[in-house]
Amino acid sequence: MAATGESAPKSGVDEGGPSGGIQEDDDLVFRKICSLLDPLNHTGVKLTRDTDLVADLEIDSVAVLDIVMDVEDTYDISIPVNVISETRTIGQLVDAIHVTKKDQA
Amino acid sequence: MGLFEKFEKTATLYNGLEAAGQNPFSVVMEEVLGPTRAKIRGRETVLAGTHNYLGQTFEKTAIAAGQKALEVEGTGTTGSRFANGTFSGHKKLERDLANYLGVDYCVVFSTGYVANLGAIAGLIDPSEDVVLIDADCHACIYDGCQLAGAQTIRFRHNDPESLDKRLARVPPETKGKLVCIEGMYSMYGDVAPVKEFVDVAHRHGAHLLVDEAHSFGIYGEKGRGVAEDVMDQIDFYSGTFSKSLASIGGFVASRHPEVEYLRFSSRPYKFTASPSPSTIATANAALDNIASDPSIRAKLWENANRLHAAFTQLGLRLAAAPAPVISVLFDTREEAFAAWNFLLQHGVYVNMAIPPGTPGKESLLRLAVSSAHTPEDIDALVSAYSALAEAFPAARRSAGH
Ligand SMILES: Cc1ncc(COP(=O)(O)O)c(C=O)c1O
Repeated sequence: MAATGESAPKSGVDEGGPSGGIQEDDDLVFRKICSLLDPLNHTGVKLTRDTDLVADLEIDSVAVLDIVMDVEDTYDISIPVNVISETRTIGQLVDAIHVTKKDQA
Repeated sequence: MGLFEKFEKTATLYNGLEAAGQNPFSVVMEEVLGPTRAKIRGRETVLAGTHNYLGQTFEKTAIAAGQKALEVEGTGTTGSRFANGTFSGHKKLERDLANYLGVDYCVVFSTGYVANLGAIAGLIDPSEDVVLIDADCHACIYDGCQLAGAQTIRFRHNDPESLDKRLARVPPETKGKLVCIEGMYSMYGDVAPVKEFVDVAHRHGAHLLVDEAHSFGIYGEKGRGVAEDVMDQIDFYSGTFSKSLASIGGFVASRHPEVEYLRFSSRPYKFTASPSPSTIATANAALDNIASDPSIRAKLWENANRLHAAFTQLGLRLAAAPAPVISVLFDTREEAFAAWNFLLQHGVYVNMAIPPGTPGKESLLRLAVSSAHTPEDIDALVSAYSALAEAFPAARRSAGH
């Protein structure tokens, strides 16, 4: 279990996104997250990998955890709370999901 | 400035409320007039937002026991349970709690908050164990997971199937699996399907901790809590003295002798002072009262059922079935603030809760019933809530809910 937390992206691993074959899968995860965030996007900002969940979207930490529960059920993975609390942007969340998916595949 | 910048948003919110004279988070009980009455802003008010569920705050036997403890044992223990802070009263209360619950072991902590921190952080090795928590668990369970540094997985509230799926995904090399739920949840007053959770947890070789902070002394024929009928299968039971026992302190009870090791492995047990002799004595006296007199519990339920029926008749948007907590839901924080203030002006104090401190997107007014609420108190509550239903269409079910 510990491996999941340790290998999760910490910060700044953004811009350009991951390379190679996982790109497409990453886009799917990104789009899934965006579709879950859309109803909560009251500030109307454009959702990108750089969007800060709390600062830009003004959604609270519990709402983020709830979204992650939907993601978990969609992909049949478990993403620990402690991993999520280290993510600030949509891109970091996507990366964390991606890493977890690979680990738990 | 850097250190304080983070407070700016909060300050705007709370100063605004303060200016409007309706800050629910700065209420002062100016004079306490009894178990269900106090003066707030100069006015005698019915208290329906305390956790005095079993009305024990002014019980004569508890006050006498507290006074005696003060005289005989002094004002404080001046030390932690681990060192000089364990008196015979602490040990007796542990035995009495274990007896009441029908288990063999019990460890008393300084508060309920600390008890959950102590249990989770004491039991969990972050390098080989995992904790699974109900999404709506109290802050102290989240904080316990954090203190433990544990891999923490959330499952959907009161949903054993959601837990089942997540337990199935735990890697096989994981050693310990601890599942945390509550008995009655304090925001909505809804109750966990404990038996189903026992079955799922044990099928996956996990241990189950049930926090009965709000249900101890209240649920079950003997008052052992929501888990009463499956007490022999619960692994850990946590509780507090601050609600139905009207004192300060907390405990973790268990059928497993290993819980005794928390006394050596749990930092929240070792590094804070133990409850004072008088708080232990009043808690023990209150426990004696509620254990020997089931009519106290019956009275609470009578009051809760009466209020819930009256509120249902008023068409209020209630969060759950009859329980000692009865919450009215509002879509917006502003409506809830206004309604809270309205009730206070009508001589009734309840709690207000807003996201993210609430389970969903709604804000709520939370009424906590007491066995000590008199028929006059209940009448005053019903009359204030009926004025509320009249003045706030948003509080009613018919408003599109
Ligand atoms: C579920 C739950 N656990 C624990 C606690 C903490 O209890 P205490 O007031 O003894 O710290 C509370 C009280 O707020 C609670 O609601």
